[in-house]
Amino acid sequence: MSLHRVETPLRPTGFRAKLLITMMLVITALTAVVIVVAERNLTANVEDRLQSSFRAELETFHHGQELRQAALLERVRTLVRRARLHAAIEDDALDLLYPSATDELRDLMGSTRSAVADASTAYSLRAEFYRFLDRTGSLIPVQAPHGAGELDAADEAKLRLPQAPLTQQIGYFIRSGGVDEDTIVETIAMPIVSLEDGSVIAALALGFDAAALGRSASDLSIKRGVWVEGRLHMNGLSAEERAAIDRDLTQTIAAGSQNENGLPRLLGSAPHLLFYKHLNPGSLYPPAYEVCVYPLAELAARKRQIRWQVVAVGALLLLGGLGASHVLAGRLSVPVEKLAVDSAEDRLQRERAEAALESTHAELQRAARFSADASHQLKTPVAVMRAGLEELKSHAKNSPETADEISALIHQTFRLSGVIDDLLLLSRMDAGRLRLAIKPVDLRSLIDAALDDLGAQPDAGTLSITTTFPPDLEVLGDEHYIGLILQNLLDNARKYNRPAGRIDLTARNTGGELFLRVGNTGRVIGRESREHIFERFHRGSMGENVPGYGLGLNLARELARLHRGDLQLLRSEEDWTEFEVRFRAPSHPSPLRSDA
Amino acid sequence: MRLSCRILFFVSLLATLSSVCARADALIEGRVTLPQNRTATVMNKRYEIVAKGGVLAVNPPLAVVYLEGRFPPPTEPPRATMTQKDLVFSPALLPVRKGTRVEFPNLDDTYHNIFSYSAPKRFDLGRYRPDERPIPSQLFDVAGLVTLRCDIHEHMRALILVLDSPHFEVTDENGRFRLEHVPAGRYVLKAWVDSRTVHAQPVELKDGDVLRIDFP
Repeated sequence: MSLHRVETPLRPTGFRAKLLITMMLVITALTAVVIVVAERNLTANVEDRLQSSFRAELETFHHGQELRQAALLERVRTLVRRARLHAAIEDDALDLLYPSATDELRDLMGSTRSAVADASTAYSLRAEFYRFLDRTGSLIPVQAPHGAGELDAADEAKLRLPQAPLTQQIGYFIRSGGVDEDTIVETIAMPIVSLEDGSVIAALALGFDAAALGRSASDLSIKRGVWVEGRLHMNGLSAEERAAIDRDLTQTIAAGSQNENGLPRLLGSAPHLLFYKHLNPGSLYPPAYEVCVYPLAELAARKRQIRWQVVAVGALLLLGGLGASHVLAGRLSVPVEKLAVDSAEDRLQRERAEAALESTHAELQRAARFSADASHQLKTPVAVMRAGLEELKSHAKNSPETADEISALIHQTFRLSGVIDDLLLLSRMDAGRLRLAIKPVDLRSLIDAALDDLGAQPDAGTLSITTTFPPDLEVLGDEHYIGLILQNLLDNARKYNRPAGRIDLTARNTGGELFLRVGNTGRVIGRESREHIFERFHRGSMGENVPGYGLGLNLARELARLHRGDLQLLRSEEDWTEFEVRFRAPSHPSPLRSDA
Repeated sequence: MRLSCRILFFVSLLATLSSVCARADALIEGRVTLPQNRTATVMNKRYEIVAKGGVLAVNPPLAVVYLEGRFPPPTEPPRATMTQKDLVFSPALLPVRKGTRVEFPNLDDTYHNIFSYSAPKRFDLGRYRPDERPIPSQLFDVAGLVTLRCDIHEHMRALILVLDSPHFEVTDENGRFRLEHVPAGRYVLKAWVDSRTVHAQPVELKDGDVLRIDFP
C-alpha cells in the first residue's frame, strides 16, 4: 500500500538551487578546461615562435659565418699556391718568405679592431697576423715585422702544430694581453702543398679577429661566447652561470656529443636555452665551442602575461556563464516546479482517496461481517418462531379466526427467512466470500424448474407464458445461483404482472454468449425509477400490495456480474417491461475465477 | 725553338772557329744512365721541372754533361734564350756558361712575371707583355742552379744551370751526349742528373782523342 510509504517530497526551490549549482559546476569545469587548453596552446605557440626566431637568428649567423669561412678558405687556398711563397720555401730562400708574403697578403691583411667593432655580428675578413709553419709544424720566425702582424711569443706558440697539417686547420685562442675584453682569435692554418709531388712543405697560419663570436646578437637577447682553452669567454654572465656552462661543456666534450638543439638548462636561478656548436671539429688545434645562451626570462614573462590574459578572459567567460546559468536555471525550473506542485497536489489527493477507500473498505467489511452475523443470528429465532407457530396451529381447539391468524404469522416467518437468506447472500457477495462452482449448466432445465415453481404460485394461473429458445441453451455458471437469478426474474415478472397477463422468455445464442430476455405485461417502471431499480431495498412506485423487499433485482444483477455476465432493463413502456440477462456460453471455456 | 737553335748554332760556330785556331781537338761521347720516366710519355717533347723531396729534376729526365777545368774567359759575354710559350718555359733545363746573359722572350699572349729566389741569382723581371722591348734579360754570373718561376702561373718552372765551363751539353732523352772540340788537358767530366745528383769523372784528353765515358 502506498499509503504508508514515506517519501521526501520534491521541493521546487531545492530543484532550482540544485540545477543552478550543477550548471555552475559544469560551466566552471568547462571554463577551467578551456583556460588550461588555451593557455597551453598559446604558451606553446609563443615558445615555438621565440625558439624558432632564436634558431633562425642563430642559423643566419651561422650561415654568414660559414659563407665567410668558405670565402676565406678559398682565398687562403689560392694564396698558398702563390709562386713566391713556394719559391721562398722550396728554393731555400726563407729570408724572402715573409717579405714575399707581405706582398701577397697585402689585401688580406689590415684588420683594424675599431672598424670591426662597429659591425657587432660581422666577422672580420681581414687577417690580423700571419705566420708560416715549417714541415714539422714549428714556426718559421719573422726576421723583421714586415707587416706580418704583431704577436707575442706566447701567442706564436699557440699557432704551433705537431706537424704541418695535411688539411686546413681551424683553431681559436685567446690573445694574451687582452686587457678589458677577451680577444678571441680565429686561426686558419692552410697547408702549402708542393705543386709537383703534393707533399706538404709548410703551412700558412692566418689570424682573424673573432671577437664577434663573443658578442651578442643585437635584437635578440642571445648571449654568445666561446669556450676555448678550457674556459668560457662570454660577457655579462654571473660567476654561477659561467660555472654551470663550464660544467655542462666539460661533460659534453667528455661525452663527445653536441648540443645544437638548445635544451633548456637551469643556469643560476633562471632557465636558459643553451646551444653549443663545435667550431673546429677534427682540428689539430684545441677544440673550441661556440656557446649561445638564451635567457628564458622574456619567454617566462610573456607566458605570465598570456596566462593572466587567458585567466582574465576565462573569468569574464565564467561570470557570463554563471549569469546565463542563473537565468537558464530559473527558466528551466519553472515547468518543473509547476509539475512538482501539481504532483504534490495529486499525491495529496491520492493519499486522501486511498485513506477514504481504506476506511470504506474496512467499513464495508465490517458491515458485511455484521450483516452475515446478523442473518445467521436471525435465522434461528425465525425457525424457532415458525416451529412454535406450527405447533400452535396444530391445536384443534383453535378457533378458525385464530387458525387463520397463525397461518398468516407462519407465512410472515417464511418471508422473513427469505429476506434473511437474501441478505446473507448479499453480504457474502459484498465480502467477496461467495464461492461459485462454475460448470456448464443446462439453462433450459433450470428455466423449466423455475416455471414449475412459478406455476405453483396462487396468482400464476391467469398468466400465459411463452418461451422461444434455440436448441442449445448451455451456459457457464453455478447451477444454484443461476437458478436464483431466473427465479428472481420470473418472480418479478409474475409479481408485477396484471391479471391475465403474459410472460415471454426468449433466448438467443451469439457466439460465446447467451442472452435471455424476460418480458412481462403490467405496469411499466417509471422513468425516474429506472436508474434505481437495481439498488437494494428499492421498490420504486410499485404498489404496496406487491410482496417483496427490493432485494431481488439487486441480487440477480450482482450474481450475473459474478458470472461475468450482466442484467439490464431493456425497456419498460406500454404495458411491457423486458429484462435481459447475459451469460457466458461454455463454447469458450476460460478459467473462471471461482472467487470474485 | 728555332731561335735558340740558331743561337746554339752560332755559339758552336764560334767554338769551332776557336778550335780551328788551336788546331787541336778531342771528343768525348758516352751515355748517362737516366732515371726511369716518372710519368707517361710526354707529348710534344714538353719537359717540366719536377721536385721531389726538394730535389729538382727534369721530367722526362735529361742530364747535363759538362767539363770542369780551367778555361780562358770568353772574349765577349755569351747569350742564351729561354722562351715562355704556351705557359711553359723552353727549354726547361738550360745550361749556360757563367757570365751569360739570358733573354726571356714572352711568346704568349699573356703577361708573365719571371723571378728567381735561388741563391746564385735572385731577380724579378716583373710583369711584361710579349711586345716588351728590349727583351728582358738577366746576366748569370755566379755558377749554380737557378730555379725560374712565373709569379702569375704557379706551375711554370725552369732550371738554369750556370756552369764555369764553355763545354757542356744536354743529353738526349736516352742519356747520350757528345762533347766535341774539347782542347787537350786535364778535366773533370761531370753529369748533372738532378739538383742533388752530379756524377763526376776525371779525364785527360790529348789532341785527337775520342773518349767514351758512360755514367752509371
